[in-house]
Amino acid sequence: MNRLTNTLEDLKNKSKKALVAYLVAGDPDIETTLELMTVLVESGVDIIEIGVPFTDPIAEGPIIQKAHDRALKNNVSLKSIFEMVDKFRENDDDTPLVLMGYLNTFIFNKALIEDNKNNVIDSVLVVDIPGELKLKDYGVYNPNINTISLISPTTKKDRIESIAKNSSGFVYYVTLRGVTGASNLDVNEISSNIEEIKKHASVPTLAGFGIKSAEDAQLLSQCSDGVIIGSSIVQMIEESSQSKEFDRIRTYITDIKNAIS
Amino acid sequence: MKLDKNNLPDKNGFFGEYGGKFVPETLMYALEELETTYEKLKNNNEFKEQFYKDLSEFVGRPSPLYFAERLTKHYGTGSIWLKREDLNHTGAHKINNTIGQILLAKYMGKKRIIAETGAGQHGVATATVAARLGLECHIYMGSEDVQRQSLNVYRIKLLGAQVHSVDSGSATLKDALNEALRDWVTNVDDTYYIIGSVTGPHPYPMIVRDFNSVVGEELISQSKELFNSMPDAIVACVGGGSNAMGAFYPFIKFNETRLIGVEAGGEGVETGEHAAPLNDGTPGVLHGSLSYLMQDDSGQVKGTKSVSAGLDYPGVGPEHSWLKDSGRAEYVAVSDDAALKAFHEVSELEGIIPALETAHAFAYLDTLMKEFDKNSNIIVNVSGRGDKDINTVANIDGIKI
Repeated sequence: MNRLTNTLEDLKNKSKKALVAYLVAGDPDIETTLELMTVLVESGVDIIEIGVPFTDPIAEGPIIQKAHDRALKNNVSLKSIFEMVDKFRENDDDTPLVLMGYLNTFIFNKALIEDNKNNVIDSVLVVDIPGELKLKDYGVYNPNINTISLISPTTKKDRIESIAKNSSGFVYYVTLRGVTGASNLDVNEISSNIEEIKKHASVPTLAGFGIKSAEDAQLLSQCSDGVIIGSSIVQMIEESSQSKEFDRIRTYITDIKNAIS
Repeated sequence: MKLDKNNLPDKNGFFGEYGGKFVPETLMYALEELETTYEKLKNNNEFKEQFYKDLSEFVGRPSPLYFAERLTKHYGTGSIWLKREDLNHTGAHKINNTIGQILLAKYMGKKRIIAETGAGQHGVATATVAARLGLECHIYMGSEDVQRQSLNVYRIKLLGAQVHSVDSGSATLKDALNEALRDWVTNVDDTYYIIGSVTGPHPYPMIVRDFNSVVGEELISQSKELFNSMPDAIVACVGGGSNAMGAFYPFIKFNETRLIGVEAGGEGVETGEHAAPLNDGTPGVLHGSLSYLMQDDSGQVKGTKSVSAGLDYPGVGPEHSWLKDSGRAEYVAVSDDAALKAFHEVSELEGIIPALETAHAFAYLDTLMKEFDKNSNIIVNVSGRGDKDINTVANIDGIKI
């Protein structure tokens, strides 16, 4: 069975919330990303979302945009990301890995997804494809990789239903109108929308975009099955890219983990 | 605005395999809202009357179809006719689309207008219609374009809009579009995004084409009146492709008229340093639609090179991709040097300083006119005037103004 599905079921059985961390592959370089992935797991992260850099990441705020640019300067491609993940899997065969990126990269590199040698990747999350469309129809398909769809505060009820039914792995609820790293969370709206999603989805619903502090995470974990943290981690990676001292990230993750437990 | 003549795009926004709606989920409802509004209004008489009234009284339409006597003599083959979109208020075809879209925005009750711009013409055209309705207006422009199109930047400011200089990526039109989309995702409830070309997610390529089709519609009646036949060819420059699409669309059914789009060849298509995706690109997804795209060997969008800010874009409208594959239209490219030569030539021969974008269409006449005899009629769509490009051309010619 798929690592992502396994992990989420396991957490559910233990009545625990999932903690998902996002970083951009190749920021500041592939070796450091590999090291950081281990740091994240050791600090309590359940699932890692690997950002696949793209020249035109329209859903990202400035922090993650800059990370994409840094990675692209290092010529990071989906091919080199698969090589990195192969290395990660030598020491960790349990942590679910999700590739998050933009449609053009996945269509262009569909052979890599189809191949997914040794099943190193568990899931794909494409930001710019509507939830009722299937990646399979664009040639992006592997029976062992599930596809996560996004639902946002502006998604109408009839679409919530069809997207929720179409999503495997989990449903990603975008908590705000805006780009990643923004800060205008409306907890009442979020909890009522997630309630609606849960009526239709057979998979868990996780919340992401704009979650910064342990307080945010704690609040949102009460109405969801878990939280996704991105921009804050990416910012800390940028700040530590010279020193390669990642203790701050460890502390930050541990605090959030405690807050949602 | 004949809107139902052609059945494309299909209900999902596709022209054959091209087009679609590839955007973050937050924007899906806004696109649906826009589509519903447009479908409701496009055949509404009151709406159409207002659109044509504004085009006539505010823009100054119809624009003339003008016989270019000296240019015709210069080539000595067919008659060359100029569709004078450069005479429109604000100086380019861009105003046709913004006049239409601002009416949609008003009908939808949106309080805030955003737009991207490359050469600045769409920014000016948007700021103009927003000023007319007293709406808050924000224009996104790549910082490189802010430099090379400083005159238009000032015009936009004079019209009361805010210019946001975009430094990310290649700091040109594509990055301005990225930033406008990010603004729209954030302020989607009260903001109307006026896309300036036949690009972006459905329904934009259809809406922008329809509003610009006034150009092609006028050409049909003007051709009958002036030379009593359909033209043998229409030549237009293609960046995103809105002026070309507006001129081509009503002619798609007239097979006797060749439709020729001229892309920016930059330093030459063979060098890879250009902005000619229809000539040297492959299908890919950028800014919400699937179309020909300049991309590298790992699927990243490539940087572009063109002397013309308005053509400096790695993508192209999906309907052009469909017209290319179906063979109904031809797409060629001319280099920066050829465009600059035509810029000077047309200025001196016709007393018309064309926009650098338009100069690309003129430059192709060197090749095209050899294919025609004296009885033929060739139309060049003069998409805009060249006042905005004076600094760029002077710099290239080593002249300080």
